[in-house]
Amino acid sequence: MKPQKIVMDWLDSRLGVSELLHQQLGGYKLPRNINIWYTLGAVIMALFGLQFLTGILLLVYYVPDTEKAFASVTAIMNEVPFGWLFRYLHVVCSNLIIVALLLHMLSVLYMGSYKRPRELTWVSGFTLLNLGLAFCLTGYLLPWSQLSFWATTVATDAAGAIPIVGEYLVSYMRGGPSVGAATLGRFFALHVLVLPLALMGLAGFHLFCVRRNGISQAPFGKDYRPRKPSAEFVHEEHHDGIPFYPNYTSKELAVIFFALAVLVFITFYAPWLFIPADALEPADPFSTPEHIKPEWYFLWAYQTLKIFPSKLLGLGVQVAAMTFIALLPFIDRGLERRPGKRPLFLTCYLLGLLIFVGISFWGHYS
Amino acid sequence: MAQATEGSKERRTFLGVLLGGFSVVLGAAIGWPMFRFLAPQEGSGDAQQVKIPRDQVAVGTAHFFNYQWQPAVLLQPEAGEFIALSAVCTHLGCIVKWVNDEGEFLCPCHGGKFSAKGQVLGGPPPTALENYPVEIADNELLVG
Amino acid sequence: MNRHLVGWMALFILLFWFGPALAEDSVCIQCHGGLEGRLGQPVAEWKQSIHEENGITCHSCHGGDPTDFAMAMEPERGFVGVPGNEEIPAFCGRCHVGVREDYEESAHGMALASGGPQCVVCHGNHQVVKASIDLINPESCSRCHSYDRAEKVKEIISETEARLQSLESSVASLHRVGIDVKALGGELFSTRNAFRQLFHTVNVDKLQQQKSAFDADLDGIGEQVSAIEEELAQRKLIGGIIVVLLILAGCVALLIRKTYRREEESGN
Repeated sequence: MKPQKIVMDWLDSRLGVSELLHQQLGGYKLPRNINIWYTLGAVIMALFGLQFLTGILLLVYYVPDTEKAFASVTAIMNEVPFGWLFRYLHVVCSNLIIVALLLHMLSVLYMGSYKRPRELTWVSGFTLLNLGLAFCLTGYLLPWSQLSFWATTVATDAAGAIPIVGEYLVSYMRGGPSVGAATLGRFFALHVLVLPLALMGLAGFHLFCVRRNGISQAPFGKDYRPRKPSAEFVHEEHHDGIPFYPNYTSKELAVIFFALAVLVFITFYAPWLFIPADALEPADPFSTPEHIKPEWYFLWAYQTLKIFPSKLLGLGVQVAAMTFIALLPFIDRGLERRPGKRPLFLTCYLLGLLIFVGISFWGHYS
Repeated sequence: MAQATEGSKERRTFLGVLLGGFSVVLGAAIGWPMFRFLAPQEGSGDAQQVKIPRDQVAVGTAHFFNYQWQPAVLLQPEAGEFIALSAVCTHLGCIVKWVNDEGEFLCPCHGGKFSAKGQVLGGPPPTALENYPVEIADNELLVG
Repeated sequence: MNRHLVGWMALFILLFWFGPALAEDSVCIQCHGGLEGRLGQPVAEWKQSIHEENGITCHSCHGGDPTDFAMAMEPERGFVGVPGNEEIPAFCGRCHVGVREDYEESAHGMALASGGPQCVVCHGNHQVVKASIDLINPESCSRCHSYDRAEKVKEIISETEARLQSLESSVASLHRVGIDVKALGGELFSTRNAFRQLFHTVNVDKLQQQKSAFDADLDGIGEQVSAIEEELAQRKLIGGIIVVLLILAGCVALLIRKTYRREEESGN
């Protein structure tokens, strides 16, 4: 008997593992018209996995103290064997994760997969996007460079626009009137424990929702018709579909490899793409560098605040936009999912995308 | 039809083996750096100690040497009292000179002055010269 | 290349300068900044100088009290006023000690009493900018004697100068990709200062003699830089191989996927 068979039989008689595996892998049928965009979920999981790995490695040598943080990062980059590799992987991967998250969101919006019965999947997913951004914000501060210090100062300042509680909120976030040791302490705790736990929990819930509902059918092809939602729970079946494993997992694996290729390429050939010169100088609370800017994924917020004369208005517009997107499935209740048959949605979608990209570029060049 | 499935099974196995091979190489490509990253390093922990023979530092003189890839200086202002300092001026990084007659350090770049103990006596340097611990062991001085 | 030099200076300012970078205007600037003619001119000139970039202001050289209008120019607060022609080397030499020593021993220094040049003649007084080899030029040096002497000196130092510049730019590039260049940069900075200081002896023989020592120093630094650059090139090579492997692995996975497609199309 082959060793795999022996192990499987042993586990089977105790936990019924074969049946479970069959249900989730070979027996799980996906709609035939599934497309490549559906692989993004797996790509995001792989990238987050890599991020956790490199993060844990960095944690071994990083020191979260304002006097030692920058030196510890310099040591990782210059003295620890392959420290430069894991540090650059961590930086580049964090940016790629945001790209993948945005692409995933864009494809879900386009295919109308956020609609009933998948509202919870959408809300948890949007929250996960924000968690990703929170990861980036908190992680940014940790090297304690000029960029870390001043970008965090600018970012936390925004909350000051809120009337009455604004000032207190800012100093609560920072642990003091200005960014300092207290800020580093709490951002470190958030980045290394609180956010990872939240991410794992919420991602688990998100995956549970995806699996429990059954993967949505892509709204393309001449035979597609929008489903009527039922009052009772129903798992979307695709009896004539293709097995998840190995038919679709092989595609997911391919896209993951290609994403990793992009990651490694940028890491070795253009690591400075995501590391501006200010990130190489230790933080100096007395000297603000000229042209301090947040990372590209926050430029939209930064520029929006600059456009509106009142900081409160600028902040309000952003909060309104984010809330609108978060509650989209409750606002857009139409059953139709085919993009061609949702002209209003498509217009808003394209407009929103253009504005996001346009404002980000504006923020970059201003 | 049966032939097509057979051929495709063989191809699949071949591709599977190929993929497995790539995965092993890629796994090693990340596994090896991880292993080295976490492995204890030679001469790590804290600073590497430097040994200087005692007779190289006469009373009232200063001996320059290299410590952790930077210039440093050992002096013996009073008999039996040894001080080890960084010789890098804290102003803009020039190397200080020892002025024997005055018993103090002078930086030739912008006139910074330091006492024998490394304290700033005048000029632009903002802080004292970094002090290193010195131990006396028979005829040797251990810095760091 | 100039871009790198400015960046390099900025690096050192940020790495080693612990005081506030932008001080409030002193009373000196507040008053003289608003004056016309020769009393106001120094302020505009100083604002473009390397002294201003490094936080050296009026009272750093002229003394006096920068916070008190009434006592700003009082001798009891250390005000020394405008130095006379022959007092200038001592004036600048309070900070630029090494240069003063070399200058005083030089032909220029010995000729000071009989109309020879002092610091300001070549470097200016308020619009002092970062020294460069172009300070040695026919217009400037032929004011007192024929240019060929200066030309000889310029020739001897220009090769080393050029090497210094190129090494500085290499080190700045290394810093840009995250290499810790503090020790290396410090060595280069020290060597550059010592070399530039030596020029002030304007002594062809001395320069010729010392040149080889400096060249040896630069050789050492150059070797360290090359070693780092080589390692970086090696990393890129390995990175390239990994990228290719990943793309190949992705393609193999796609091919595997394709083998299942046939089954799907023929109805499993």
